[in-house]
Amino acid sequence: MDINIACSNKFLEDFDVDTVVGPTSLWMGGIHDATGARYIKFAGRELEPDKQFQFQEADYMKADDYDDFIENPTKWILTTYLPRQHKEFEDPYRAHLSLIKGAAGMAMNQGMLEEAGKRWAKEYGFPMSQTGMTKAPFDTMGDTLRGLTGIMMDMHMQPDKLLAAMDVLVDHNIYYGMATAGGDTTLPLFMPLHRGSYPFLNPEQWDKFYWPTLKKVIEGLWEKGKRTLFYAEGNWTPYLEKIAELPDKSIVFHVDTTDMKKAKEILGGRFCISGNVPNTMLAYGTPEEVRDYCKKLIDEVAGDGGFLMDAAGVVQWDAKEENIRAMIETTREYGVY
Amino acid sequence: MANHIEELKNAIVELEADKVISSVKAGLEEEANPMDMVEGLQAGMVEIGNRFAKGEYFLSELIMSGEIMKNAMALIEPKLAGLEQEYKGNIVIGTVKGDIHDLGKNIVIMLLKGSGYNVIDLGVDVPAEKFIEAVKEHEAPLLAMSVLLTGCQDPMKDTIKAVRDAGLNDVKVLIGGNYIDEKVKEYCGADYFGTTADEGVKVANQVFGA
Repeated sequence: MDINIACSNKFLEDFDVDTVVGPTSLWMGGIHDATGARYIKFAGRELEPDKQFQFQEADYMKADDYDDFIENPTKWILTTYLPRQHKEFEDPYRAHLSLIKGAAGMAMNQGMLEEAGKRWAKEYGFPMSQTGMTKAPFDTMGDTLRGLTGIMMDMHMQPDKLLAAMDVLVDHNIYYGMATAGGDTTLPLFMPLHRGSYPFLNPEQWDKFYWPTLKKVIEGLWEKGKRTLFYAEGNWTPYLEKIAELPDKSIVFHVDTTDMKKAKEILGGRFCISGNVPNTMLAYGTPEEVRDYCKKLIDEVAGDGGFLMDAAGVVQWDAKEENIRAMIETTREYGVY
Repeated sequence: MANHIEELKNAIVELEADKVISSVKAGLEEEANPMDMVEGLQAGMVEIGNRFAKGEYFLSELIMSGEIMKNAMALIEPKLAGLEQEYKGNIVIGTVKGDIHDLGKNIVIMLLKGSGYNVIDLGVDVPAEKFIEAVKEHEAPLLAMSVLLTGCQDPMKDTIKAVRDAGLNDVKVLIGGNYIDEKVKEYCGADYFGTTADEGVKVANQVFGA
C-alpha cells in the first residue's frame, strides 16, 4: 500500500496533470490477503510486483442459484458466494477470523487512502477526479457473479430470473455508489462498463437486458445529485442514441473505441466527453503521433468545451513516459481558449 | 443421413438447444454415423462464424452456440472412440505469459474446432517453453497466441523469438486480441494478427489452404 501511494506521489511530482484518479493499483490488499481471495491476482502476490492486477472470472454463482439470490442477496453472498471465492472459507473457524482480519485490513487501507487523498490535495493541489464506484446491474451479474458464458446462457435459458436478479441490484448499486463515495456529490462516480459494448449483445438483448437497469441506476444517482463517469470500455457507437435519453449532465461519457465524431454529434453539448487517446499509441507510438492525435481531438471535440483529455483505457505499465508527456504538453499548449 | 446433417446444422445455427440435443440423441439411437453428426454441427458452426463476420450474430450467439456444441459433443464423443477423426490440421493456442484472460481465446477455439481443426489449448499465462514443446510434439504448422493486456507485448515478442531460436522457422504465428494491429504484429514479429474470432478462422484456412 505504501509503495502504491508512493507511486502516485511520484507521478504527481513528475507530471503536470489537473486531477488524479487515486492510487496506481488496487488498494484492497489487506482483505485480499486475509481471506485468501481466489478471484483476483495481485501484483506482488500471485503476480510479479511491477504488473497490473488481474481478475479471474468464473461462474462463482451457478445457474440454479437465482432463487436464493433474489430471495436474500446478502444471505446468499455470505453463505454461498464468499466460500466459493476465498480459500480461508474452507474452514468455518478460519472464515470468521478472516472476515474480521479482512474488515480491519480494509479499514486500514481505506484510511491510508483517505490520508493520501488529503495530502495530494494539500501538497500538490490535485483534487481527485472521482469518488466512489458502482456498476451496471448486468455487469455485476456478468463480471462477478455468473461470468460471461453464464450470463449469455441465462439470457436464452432463464431470462425472467436474470431480469428479476438485476432488478434486485438496482437499489443496491445506487447505494453502493453513494456509500463508496462517502456521500460526495461534487465529483463523478466511477462506473466501468463492460458487457454492454459492441458486439457482446445483439440489439434486442441490449435493449432488454443491459439498458433498462443501467438507466435506472444512473437516474437514481442523478436524483441524489451524483453524476456518473460512464466509463464505456470498448465500442459503444451503436448505443449512443439510447445513452442520449439520460438527463442532461447526468454523465461524463468516456470514449475508448467508440466513434468520437458520432459521440460528439449525439452527446456533445449535453454531456462532458473524455478519453480516446489510444493506449497502443501511448505504448508503441511516437510523441509526434500522440501530439497530432491530441491536437485533432482538441480541434474536433473540445472546441466548445466539455472535454477531458484522457487515455482511451486504463494506462498500463507499458506506456512510454515521453508519450504521456506529449499528451499532457499538447493539451497544455494547444488546449487553450 | 443427409437430413440428420442438415437438421443438426439448422438447429445449431438457430440456437435451438433442445432440438440439437434431441436430434443427436435420436441419431445415436438409430446408430447413425457419429462423424456425420459432427459434420452437421461443424457446418452449423461455420455458418454461425459467417453470420458473426457479417454482423448478424453477436458474441452472445457465438457463446450460446459454443455451449450447445459442447453439450452435443459430450453425447457424441464416446461413439467417436476408435474412429479415425479427420482434422484439417493441428493448431497450438494459449494466452501469453503474464496474462490470465481466456474468454477471447475460448471463443476462437470454439470456432476453430467448429471448422474442423484439432486445437491444442495450453490455457493461460503460458511460458515460451510450453508453446515450443507443444508445437514440436504436435508438429503444428500454426501457433496462435491470445493477449488482452497491452503490457504483455514483450512476453509475446520474446515467445516468438524463442520459437524461432528453437529452429521452428516454418511455423506460422498468429496473434489475436482486441487491441492488436499491424504495428503490434510487426513489433512482435508475428505472421498474422486478428482482432475478432472469425479472423482467427480465416487465417487458419489460409495457412492450411483449406
